[in-house]
Parts: sequence; C-alpha cells; structure tokens
Amino acid sequence: MPASDTIVALSTPAGESAIAVIRLSGCACPELGQSILGRQSGLKARHAYFGIYLDIKGKRIDDCVVTLYEAGKSFTGEAMLEIAPHGNPLIVQKIMEDLMARGCRPAEPGEFTRTAFMNGKMDLSQAEAVSDLIRARSDKSIEVAQRQLHGSVGRKMSELTDRLLSVMAHLEAYIDFPEEDLPDENQSGPAMDLRKLINEINELIETQHYSALLHEGIKTLIVGEPNVGKSSLINALTGSDRSIVSDIPGTTRDYVSAFLMIGPWRIEILDTAGLHEAVDVIEQLGINHTIEQAETADFFLLMLDSSGDSPTLPAELLARTTAENTIVVENKIDLTGSVSHDAFMPDFKHARVSLLEREGISELRQQWQASIEAGLKQPNADGVVVNARHAAALGDARDALELAADKLKNLELSELVAADLRDAVEFIGRVVGKVDNERMLDSLFKQFCIGK
Amino acid sequence: MSGGLKFGPNQPYDVIICGAGHAGCEAALAASRLGADVLMLTGNLDTIAQMSCNPAIGGQAKGHMVREIDALGGEMAINADTTAIQFRLLNASKGPAVQAPRAQCDKKAYQYRMKHVLELQDNLDLFQAMVQGLIYEDGRVVGVSTNLDVEFYAKSVVVTTGTFLRGLMHVGKNKNEGGRMGDFSAKGLSGSFLEAGIELERLKTGTPARILGSSIDFTNLEEQLGDEEPTLFAFYDTREEQDLFHVEHFGQEKLGWAPGEKQVSCWMTYTGEKTREVVQDNLHLSAMYSGEIEGTGPRYCPSIEDKFVRFSDKDRHMLFLEPEGRNTNEWYINGLSTSLPFEVQLDLLRSIDGLEKVHMLRPAYAVEYDFAPPTQLFPSLESKKVENLFFAGQINGTSGYEEAAGQGLIAGVNAVQKVRGGEPLILKRHEAYLGVLIDDLVTKGTNEPYRMFSSRAEHRLLFNHPSAELRLVEHSDRLQLIDGQRVAKIKAKSEKILSWVDRLEVERTRGESYALHLRRSRSQEDFPDELKTETREVRDEVHYRVVFKGYLERELKQIEKMRHIDHIRLPEGFDFGKVKGLRSESAEKLKKIAPLTLGQASRISGVNPADISILMVFLEAASRK
Ligand SMILES: Nc1nc2c(ncn2[C@@H]2O[C@H](COP(=O)(O)OP(=O)(O)OP(=O)(O)O)[C@@H](O)[C@H]2O)c(=O)[nH]1
Ligand SMILES: [Mg+2]
Repeated sequence: MPASDTIVALSTPAGESAIAVIRLSGCACPELGQSILGRQSGLKARHAYFGIYLDIKGKRIDDCVVTLYEAGKSFTGEAMLEIAPHGNPLIVQKIMEDLMARGCRPAEPGEFTRTAFMNGKMDLSQAEAVSDLIRARSDKSIEVAQRQLHGSVGRKMSELTDRLLSVMAHLEAYIDFPEEDLPDENQSGPAMDLRKLINEINELIETQHYSALLHEGIKTLIVGEPNVGKSSLINALTGSDRSIVSDIPGTTRDYVSAFLMIGPWRIEILDTAGLHEAVDVIEQLGINHTIEQAETADFFLLMLDSSGDSPTLPAELLARTTAENTIVVENKIDLTGSVSHDAFMPDFKHARVSLLEREGISELRQQWQASIEAGLKQPNADGVVVNARHAAALGDARDALELAADKLKNLELSELVAADLRDAVEFIGRVVGKVDNERMLDSLFKQFCIGK
Repeated sequence: MSGGLKFGPNQPYDVIICGAGHAGCEAALAASRLGADVLMLTGNLDTIAQMSCNPAIGGQAKGHMVREIDALGGEMAINADTTAIQFRLLNASKGPAVQAPRAQCDKKAYQYRMKHVLELQDNLDLFQAMVQGLIYEDGRVVGVSTNLDVEFYAKSVVVTTGTFLRGLMHVGKNKNEGGRMGDFSAKGLSGSFLEAGIELERLKTGTPARILGSSIDFTNLEEQLGDEEPTLFAFYDTREEQDLFHVEHFGQEKLGWAPGEKQVSCWMTYTGEKTREVVQDNLHLSAMYSGEIEGTGPRYCPSIEDKFVRFSDKDRHMLFLEPEGRNTNEWYINGLSTSLPFEVQLDLLRSIDGLEKVHMLRPAYAVEYDFAPPTQLFPSLESKKVENLFFAGQINGTSGYEEAAGQGLIAGVNAVQKVRGGEPLILKRHEAYLGVLIDDLVTKGTNEPYRMFSSRAEHRLLFNHPSAELRLVEHSDRLQLIDGQRVAKIKAKSEKILSWVDRLEVERTRGESYALHLRRSRSQEDFPDELKTETREVRDEVHYRVVFKGYLERELKQIEKMRHIDHIRLPEGFDFGKVKGLRSESAEKLKKIAPLTLGQASRISGVNPADISILMVFLEAASRK
C-alpha cells in the first residue's frame, strides 16, 4: 500500500504551544512510526514512545512522543499515529514537510471523522456530533455533543423505530395472518401508541431550536433609544472596544456583533442603532435593520437612560419582547436625576446599572443567566437534542403518523394505515440509516403466536 | 413429448430441469412452451408436483403469486382450480389489495393432473433418473450425470431439487435420510456445487402428522365451509374454454363438473388441557430442543414446542384439520409441527379435542437440508459462479409451493432466454410479488425458509389479485408467455377497465360523480347498471381503481421517485473497492451481492442512503469522463 493513502494533519491549533500533536491515519502508520524514530523493530500499539524525530534523510528534527494505534481499535478504524513534538510552528512545519516527502497527503477538513464514519466506527448522527463537539463553544453544547457522540440520537431513533414497528406489526399480523387465532382486532391500542409517538417526536423536533441555540449561540439584541449606552454595554460585557461609544446620539448605525459567555451559555450579542424618529436615510436603514434582526432574536436587553423619560419604541419590536425573553436595563444610575423606571413594562425584569462606574454588571449577568435558564425549555426527550437535518426527517415522519392516526380514528382499512406507517419508518430511517422490514417481522412474530 | 430421449454429449437439449416439484414443473412448462427443447429429470415420476406439507394452495400474498403465475402463462393456478375441494377468499373484510384466494386441493389429483399436463406438453421429455452431478466446462454447465450412469447434455440447466440435498429427517432422536418421508436424499449434487465454488448452508423446516379421518370425532369441532362463490386463481375471462380439463376426465369433454361444486369442509379444533403437560414433560426429547437440530426454525412456523415455550401465557392453540383429498381419508393437522418422538406424538395428538382416539398415519418430522444461499444468483436466477446454471425453489432457501412455482417459471423462461441470447425476465418490486420475492432473495438472502408476506411488498396496494394479468401483460406479451389471443383479450379488458374508470369520474349520480359517490359508499351496488353486467374481474378492478384512486396514485408517485435509481446500472464486475468514501462495511456487502442496479444496491441491508449517494456521485463522475 502506498503511503498516499495515509492522511496527516496538525490536530492542535497552529501557533506556539508547549506541544503540538500531528495525527496520521492510514495503513502506512506502523511503518512510519518505526522509521521516524529510527527503530529496528515496530512500535507496540497504544504505547507512548519517546525519541527523536529523524527525517527521511536521517536528520534529527526534534524530541517527540509517538503513539501508534492499530487498525480496528482507533478513532478512524485505520492504523493511526500521533506525533507530539514541541509546539513550535517551525518544527511542526518541518515534520509535516517530511511526512509529505514520505508520501502522506494532507487531510481534507473533517476527513478523520469521515473516515471513522466510513469504517463503520460511528453512525451518521455520531459523525455530526464530532463536528459539533469540535465547534462547541459552550459547556452546554459540549455536553450535548458528547451525548450525541455516544449515540444518544441513534439510540433514541432506534427506540422510536422499535415502537413504531411494534404498532405496524400489530396491524400487519391481522393482514398477513387472517387465519390465525389472534386476539380480536382492536385499533385503540395502536391509536394510543401512535399518539404517544407523535407527541414524543414533536418534543424531539422542538429540541432542534435548543440545539441551534447551543451551537450557534443565543442571539441577543441590545435595543433602546439613541445614546442610552447600548454600545457601552457590549463593550463592558466583552471587555473590549467592539463598538464605538460617543455622546453623539445615533453613533451606531449598523449593528455590531460579538460573542460572549453567560454562565455555560454562548451568547451572540448584537448592538443596534438607537430607535427613534430617524432624521436621515442611513439612520432609518439602521433602524429598519434592527427591527429585522428582532424577528430572529432569542433574547432582548431593552436599555433606557434612567435619568431620562421612559422610551417609546416601535410596536413591531415590542411585539417580540416578553417577560421571559427580555430584561429592561436601566443605565446611567450614577447621573443626578436618575430615577427607577419600575413602572415601565412592569411585568418585565429590570436591572439597574451604571456602565460608567461599572456598577450592577455582575448582577445583570446573574439575572440574565437565570432568565435564559427559566425561559429556555430544557427539552426532556431524554436529553436528546436533534439538529436541523434530524428535525426535517422527523417532521416528515410526524406528518405521516398524523395521517395514520386520522385513518385509525376513522376506522379506515388497516392496509391503508400501514402504508402511512411505512412512510414514517422510512423517514425516521433517514436520521441514522434505513430500517429493514425484517425488523418489523421480528416484532410481529415476537408479539403474536403465529404459525401452522 | 418430443419423441425420443436424447442422451450423451452429441445431442444436447436446450434446457434440462432437475427436479419435478412445484418449481421444476413450472420451469419445464415455461421453457417448453417457449419452444425450447426440454428434458425434465426426476428421481421419482410418482411424486411430481407433490404437496409435501399442507394440501392447500394460496393464502395471503401466496394466492396473489398464484394469480401472477397464471398471468405469466404458468400452470399452478389452473391446476389448483381444477383439483380444489374447497375455496376461500381470505381477508374478505379488509380492502381488495389484501384479499387473497386460497384453496384446499386434492393432493393426489393435483399431482395426476400436473403429471398429465407435462406428458401432453410439446417439446418436453420426462425421464426418471436421479441427477447426481453437474458436468462443467470452462466455468459453464453443459450437462448432468445420473444414478443410471447416463449423462444428459444441455445448453442450460435449472436445478429445482427442493429439500432433497443431503436431507435429514428427525422424529425425536430417530433420523432418516431423505428430503421427504418415503423419499430419498440427493447426495452427489451437493459435492458438485461445492466443486464449482457454490456455497451451501443448512436450513430446517417441518411438517405435522397425518391422521385417519374416520378416527376423528367431529362432534365438538367447528366446521369451516368453503365460499359459496369460489374465487378462482386462473383468469378464465381471457382464456379459451379448451385450455381447461379436470383430472377426473383427462382432456375429454367436461362432464358437468365445475370448480366449487361439492366442496369439502375443514374443521377447527384446539389443543386440550393436557397438551401443555405432554409438551413440557417431553421437551428434552424434542429434536429441536435437545440440540439434535441446530439453528432456529422458521419464525412463522413454530413447532408446538415453541408455541408453548415462547407463548406460555396462551393456554390453548388453534389447529385446523384439512382433508387431503376426495378419495382418501388421510387428514392433515395444520398448526402442529413437532420434532417430538413418535410415542410422545401419539400422546400429543390424543390430548387434542376430537382426536382422543385418533389413528396416526404418518408422524410429524423436522427436516434439515442444504440450500444454496440465493445471494449467489443474478436476478435472472442464474448462478454468478457457473454460467447457464439456474436455481429455483426451496434450494434457494424459500418455503411454500407458490414461492417455488414462481421462481421455477422465471428460471425456466430465463434459461431459454439465455440460450437464445435474449434479455432475462426480471420483474420489478413494484410490478409483482414475484418481483419482490426474487429481489429479496438475490439481494438480501435469507436465514430461515423464506416465505412471502404481503408486508414484504412496499407497494402491495398495487397488487390486488385481479390486477395480476393487467400488471404483467407487457411481459407475457413481449416474451410470448401466453398466446396472442389471450394477450388481445387482456388488453381489451384493460381498456374496458380504463374507460369505466374515466366514465365514473364524469358520469353523475345523485348530484355528484359516480367516483365521488363510490369513494364514500365503497359499494358495487352503487355502480351504474351497465357496469353491473360486466364480468367480476372487470367490476372488481374498476371498483378498486375508482375507490382507492388517491392511494394508488400515491404509490405510483413513490415508484416514479425511485425509478431513476433502478435504472442506473452498475457495470458487471464493478469494483466497489475503488469508490472513495464508501464505508468499508457497505463496500464488502456490495462486493458480495454484486447488485446490477443502484436500486438493488439500495435494498441491501447494511447499505445506507449515504452510501447510495456516494455511489451515485461516483457513477456520475465516471460517466462524464
Ligand atoms: N453617566 C453615564 N454615562 C454613560 C453611561 N453609559 C454610557 N454613558 C455615556 O453615554 C453616551 C452614549 O453611549 P453609547 O454607548 O455610545 O450609547 P448608544 O446607545 O450606543 O448610542 P447610539 O449608538 O448613538 O444609539 C456616551 O458618552 C457614554 O460615555 C453611564 O452609565 N453613566
Ligand atoms: Mg451605539
């Protein structure tokens, strides 16, 4: 086998670090491990070898630790090698160049995971989880991705499929074995089972929103009249000068975004143009844009200047805010003339801060986290969270099941109900792989004593 | 008969059929009716078309297949109709797609008639000799050797040897060699297959005891009558009368007999209070439970031991007593397969209601036999290993007369097509149960005797039994499986049905179209009077197509969506290993099954939609080069 079947990539981020890890996958790994360390005998799998990396011409490059994983017992399913030299970009580059010279080729993005999937080391949902895990930017999303990696989605689908097949088996038994001594045909059991399945699938579909929140961040909009301190807030929260702050109202004209963490939650925060009667066209565009953004926002920080009057804000925007998804932030409490605006949107939570004096910011964070956690319905669905692809397939399955449930209710012919159920099984199969009819038959023969 | 047996390498037949069971009979008839020069070899001319298990043809999905066989010019349907002693339409309370004809047949009459049909057939030689080996030349089969040391040669060979390959029968600890009680076991042939690299595996099945009718006490048993108006298997509305003859008056004028006349009843009974005890106390003596037989039996045909062990909460099990014919008093006990020893079987029988004083004629037994896993076949049923060699029936791991006959017919046709260099007959999954059957076999294989269930057919809603002839007429016409007159009649019937379906959409009754009205009432009573005078075949089909139009259209749409991948061909000898990105598990499966189309590939278990996408992209890229 040529080494060109062996892929290589730097697994740690580029740049200086204590050590770097270079990972290889492919059949040339055992031989490569031996030759880069200049050893007479092969490496024992799963043992860490400390040695000096010798390039193809025998020149020493750096001290390193080398570990070999045998085919079948590695992440990708192929033989793998991990080389850990010092984390100096120059050294890493030399090693990478040497490995290319030995016939390896650079891995394409995601190729390690793809190889693992191809080798049957994981199902589709697990492969997706790996990429989620790598991209995960918050504790919560790491937790969910890890659970998925260990097959939570696959297990859930398998459970749903089994239950669905059991309903099907119930109908099919009476279709295929009319001469058998079966209990009287009764559709209420299957009808109830279907209802439960539909509800559970709906719950699962809802978790997709949660999954988007986890992975992409909770989209939070800072809104308010001009000059109340919106840009100051984003800067205070991110500890940087993301947004220009000035005492000229209407400074921010287009929105500025940043990412930050509130507790375990990843937040995408957007600073917006102040909302008021626009004086120029550009400002008006900015305001329109804010309203547009509000359509897809998950959370709002509604800011006002506590030394001024309560604001009047566009109705389109207010319509999106609720007591659960909004905190009223009263800023500039350091100013003389500052008063409490409790009476403004009284059902909403209020936070009083002075961004100038850094007052009340940690309280705001706490209140904010509490709001997120209270408002975000933690999906039960056994802790399984699905992504957009899963949700689409499940949505189709749910629709097919609804059709089946209607037919059952109307005492329609059971072979017609079965046709809808078959569609549903097919759709669910799209999440983790197709379901063979044999599995339904197995269920049938387990449930019913059939046979001549 | 063709007049003169030909043997030796200088006088090859076109096709040799090994075996004269249900598969062999259809294969021989199909091939010779196509004009090929055919020899049929059987170890015993007296057991042609024997029903080794229950004396019935049809039933759910199987009855459908019998009608399909008839549509393709096969014999099983007429043979069953003209020898049946009881007719029943199953699932009469369900929708038309899953209603299925079934008949109890006179076992001996069935055999006599089939044998006589074979004897009358042009281009077909019958000969009693046991095939002991295949003669190969350059990876092709060229003939067979027999126990008489006579060799017969042919351009193609169809093997339909059922359960006879190294058959071993068990009654408790007692073992006898043979494929069926009273018959022999074919041993040489297995070696011949292995020599050619054809793999063999073991399967097991069983058959219940037979009893003497005069020793049954029917007083407390429930009678099961036949239908007053029988639903027949064959299509007579498109046939000439003279095709028909009944076994009681071979080929002569009909003597007033008609199918359905003087039907015989079956009887229902239950296992008794003591049955469970007998089974439980003797479980260790059962061949299947004591480890004499390895592996599990078919899921759909559990032994009585299995029934009591696996469904221990059920205190009694239903059994059917079925007569084996008009001129015999032998009865079959449906539902009582067992491999318990002889003495225990007697106790078992006598614990059953009505059988307290029963006389057993033959004991139940289990049989183990070699089969050739059918994934070694192309969809034409030709072996991938040996050219010109075809397999059909139980040797492919199936169970059931209908499954066997269907394969036999297809193999017979394809053996001729092969000799003539024509395209093989490969039915699609959406065309017929026979298409599902063969696709399942060659694509997925089986690890229990494969039996057809309607749920195996994803488009069964299209398979209402009266439509078989309409669905398959294109094939039977193209290959001339039926005569031109019949084709013309089928096409005329088809047009009549289509025109009625259209008319009912536009013609009105009670302020709405007939179609709308019928979709609610679903009753043929509401047909216009003119339609009521049409034949039952026409009426039933019109009714189905009008009432269930929406459902049928949905099926057609789904088929349309899948059609393109069924048309993407994978070149023969395609190297799946070189497709980058294919999961290795899938690549291995694909290599083993060697599917001919992407559609077939998609149905292999363990091959996922993602794999198919990858293959599709690969083929697309390859075709652009
Ligand atoms: N006294 C006082 N001044 C503040 C406070 N927070 C912000 N400011 C000042 O208020 C002015 C406006 O602040 P920005 O953050 O630019 O306000 P904005 O809401 O982004 O304004 P636009 O982008 O114009 O809509 C600046 O001069 C800030 O220094 C505060 O807590 N107290
Ligand atoms: Mg600003």
